[in-house]
Amino acid sequence: MHRPTRRGFITGCSAAVAAYAGTSFNTLAFGGSDNDDILISVFLRGGLDGLNLVLPIAGSDRGHYETARPNLTVPLTGANAALPLNAQFGFHPGTNSWPDGTGTPPATLYDLYQDNKLSLVLATGMDQDNRSHFDSMSFMELGTPGVLTTASGWLTRHLLSASNLPPELIMPALAVGNLQQASLRGSTEAVGMTSPDSFSLNIGPFDWRDAQRVALRNLYSGADSWLHQAGSETLDAIDIIELNSDGGYTPANGAIYPNTTFGRHLETIARMIKLDIGLQVATVDYGGWDTHNGQGSDGGGYFFTHVEELSRGLAALYTDLNGSGGQNYAQRTTITVKSEFGRRLRENADRGADHGHGNLMMVLSGQATGGIHGTWPGLANDQLYQGADLEVTTDYRRVLSEILIRRLGNPNLGEIFPGYSDYAPLGVVNGTDLTPIFGEGISSDGFESGDTSAWSTAVG
Amino acid sequence: MGDVLDPPELSSTSTADRRQLLRQGLLAAGALTVVGTASRPAHATVPPSAVAMRRPGRVTPVRDGTPGLPEAAIVALNRMGFGPRPGDVAAFNALGGSPEARLAAYVSQQTQPASIDDTELQGRLNAAGFESVDLSANPDTYLATLWDWYVNDNAPSGNTSSNWPRDELTRATFLRAMYSRRQLQEVMVDFWLNHFNVYINDSSFVRATYPHLDLIVRQNAFGNFRTLLEAVSRSSAMLYYLDNYTSSNAGPNENFSRELFELHTLGSENYLGTLEQNQVPTDVDGRPVGYVDADVFESTRCFTGWSFSQGIEGDGDTGLFYYRPSWHDRFQKTVLGVFIPQDQDELVDGRTVLDGLASHPGTGRHIARKLCRRLIADQPPQSVVDAAAAVFTDQWQAPDQLAQVVQTILLAPELLATWGEKVKRPFEVAVSALRAGEADFTLKMEDADTSSFLGRFDDTGQELFTWPAPNGFPDVRQAWMRMTPRVMSWRLCTWLIDFDDDQGRFYLDVLGQTPGSVRSANQLADFWIDRLLGRTMQPEDRAQIVQFMAQGINPDFDLNFNDDDTRDRVRSMAGLIMMSPDFLWR
Repeated sequence: MHRPTRRGFITGCSAAVAAYAGTSFNTLAFGGSDNDDILISVFLRGGLDGLNLVLPIAGSDRGHYETARPNLTVPLTGANAALPLNAQFGFHPGTNSWPDGTGTPPATLYDLYQDNKLSLVLATGMDQDNRSHFDSMSFMELGTPGVLTTASGWLTRHLLSASNLPPELIMPALAVGNLQQASLRGSTEAVGMTSPDSFSLNIGPFDWRDAQRVALRNLYSGADSWLHQAGSETLDAIDIIELNSDGGYTPANGAIYPNTTFGRHLETIARMIKLDIGLQVATVDYGGWDTHNGQGSDGGGYFFTHVEELSRGLAALYTDLNGSGGQNYAQRTTITVKSEFGRRLRENADRGADHGHGNLMMVLSGQATGGIHGTWPGLANDQLYQGADLEVTTDYRRVLSEILIRRLGNPNLGEIFPGYSDYAPLGVVNGTDLTPIFGEGISSDGFESGDTSAWSTAVG
Repeated sequence: MGDVLDPPELSSTSTADRRQLLRQGLLAAGALTVVGTASRPAHATVPPSAVAMRRPGRVTPVRDGTPGLPEAAIVALNRMGFGPRPGDVAAFNALGGSPEARLAAYVSQQTQPASIDDTELQGRLNAAGFESVDLSANPDTYLATLWDWYVNDNAPSGNTSSNWPRDELTRATFLRAMYSRRQLQEVMVDFWLNHFNVYINDSSFVRATYPHLDLIVRQNAFGNFRTLLEAVSRSSAMLYYLDNYTSSNAGPNENFSRELFELHTLGSENYLGTLEQNQVPTDVDGRPVGYVDADVFESTRCFTGWSFSQGIEGDGDTGLFYYRPSWHDRFQKTVLGVFIPQDQDELVDGRTVLDGLASHPGTGRHIARKLCRRLIADQPPQSVVDAAAAVFTDQWQAPDQLAQVVQTILLAPELLATWGEKVKRPFEVAVSALRAGEADFTLKMEDADTSSFLGRFDDTGQELFTWPAPNGFPDVRQAWMRMTPRVMSWRLCTWLIDFDDDQGRFYLDVLGQTPGSVRSANQLADFWIDRLLGRTMQPEDRAQIVQFMAQGINPDFDLNFNDDDTRDRVRSMAGLIMMSPDFLWR
């Protein structure tokens, strides 16, 4: 299904024509394209307590869970009772909740699970003995566990290695937020912004704005350096946003985003997707998961509120994209949710939990298979990582690789996740399997550099 | 006169028309002059630019835009401060007969901040009328006052919100960076507040007491790291932010200890994961070469009971550091190879950990590299890192250890030989623009213009003291050269030259500072290039500034300053220079 059949047309489509066509460019150029799937990467900064988002509700693990978490335990009955996912696991009640006065959403995250649009993968993570936020985030986003010096992020390498993309894309990548995720490190084609509404140069003495802008363009495009390149790309992005975003935005299908930074960031992604300007990947962060203290007892409190906002945001994004006909973006959008590590099984004295190991991943898509995936390692002492944390039984790259292959049609796993070689699909999404291409990639293509800055966009 | 000074036709077009032009790819393609009148000169041609992030055949400009090395004064004033104000370069150059001599004299002054007169700043702070800034030079007195006023709501003025001290400190921090002559001190305070990052909005406790953290860092910026480390570790803001204030024998909380090792001292470069302590190799002195999780856990036990007075268990409710002996884990521990016997005196366990960390060569290397990254380049020369690390470790007990370390870095020959490896962060963009433009702007509380400025600044992504994670704002160009900081910094610069008060007085008065003898486009461009950059631009770039200013008029002809369009254009030109690549290098 992912054949580059449209290249001939695109190549003949000059830049001026593309610009002239404005918002209809995509329809013109990519209508019916073979690859128009979109990947949205949501990163939960600080270490999501996955053991309280999807928790055991039966069997001996329920006993281990309740014993280790006398205060943090999500109850089975009462106002904050866990919501059954299957006979063994339940969902945190915040996944099916919204604050008073915000309106009844058409679907909650729990509803979407029941509708098989949400796949949950248990006990994922990295085989790294590391409980540092910043190392772990960098490992995960660079796609090279154990290596902090990789010069490009895994999404950057996906975009560079995908052979089924047209040679010209108006906005292939979007990094929402103030700073760019490390998963897009090294990308020269990612647009970074918080909202299209202020992403412009419509400022300064009115009569001279345009002339100033042309001079600015010439200053950045007239010479070459890393700063000139970054500035030129930014000016390109401003042109694109000004061209394509006319004023306000109304979410479709009754979607209700949380009126928060995270909610607004998700809305920005939906807005950019619907412009049909070739978006392939988008990244967004949601922080505040480093719950060492005051996580909330009996299924309520801070964690409830945080899960509620996360769930409302994800459900709103899915709903907004889930139109009919040509507006059914949800069918070609895959939203992944992950965090750098989970939290310790045993709660601490501050009604929080310290840094742990294995964790939950979520995949939300019109093409998700739904249900619970992965291998549950168990919560008995001898089943825990170092006797303390949930074990990792599924490499996070396995989940992402399946999406790369089945949804994005890019089998170049060797380029994207160098050193990773034991891929087999878990079945979290529908799609056609392609033979993975393993191999060196990263070093032979010069992606590796002496960069030791170990920069991370940590927000926790 | 109007006929020669009229703007190009396009500039009077409506926004809607403009959007149409954009759609036609004309603005976006940098081909604006095509639609100007025929009498306008063509701008320097640029490669036709498609409106697409990915496009084949994107042409890389041939001309190298890497900046040449500026004179020593420009390097020094941008690295050790927030850029020159008018007169600063001349003052620097008067310090000695050679660049090296000038630098040495300047570094000597700047690392003894108390010796530098700071009357102008003091006048600004006084004029602002802050209530919580500079209340006391005694950290404990200051902290107790902040607690009484903003936690217990006893501020005499009635401004008892914990937002008040936060907002005053934000304003004072801008004023200090803008007007203090102790520029290096301000740079180092910023460095250490990010090194020991605390998210100011973590709680009302932190908002109320954060200025105490600022004071500690300010007083120790050129002092001893071990002293600074303990002062920060005992500060209420840090104790709260990293949860140690509740950590007890019954319920230890490892958050603080983990970041103490990973961020404040040894760094993750010296983290060996989950090895057993006895599996860690030792160095020539028999010391473990790095730390493991077990060291973090043992350290957590050492710091149990380190808390602050908050009105429980008879602790007095002062906000001051408070040791809770009954919360302390009294049994023996081993941290970094050091055995700590049971039942030590109060605080000895924690202090032993701090001693081991502060004296460890790994801490010296980690912090030396971070300082070099701040002061020289993202990838600093290893030679300077090594030299600074050696001083850091050799002098770890010296009272002026940090002054010595900073001097080692600043006097290294690599300092003046490096330029353009870093990009200014938004705070540096804003402050250096205000300084170069000799802005007369006293940020105050309850002032709409101040709020307006800060709102625009916060859009850049560097809202002061608000990095949520304990690692602090990034200090590498990868973070700050990308789009949101770039767009929002550009917007801020071009907004600044328009920024006026309710009397129409410009805070950064471009026209008022332009001498009467400077009236032609060439003169205006050269004057403002020199003023804002302190050096020349490449000829092709200067030509862009001149062409913008001239708008088709002979660039040697005087322009009419009585004409509003011309006056607007002069201000826009200054904004353009602030938005140029040359303004952003560090």
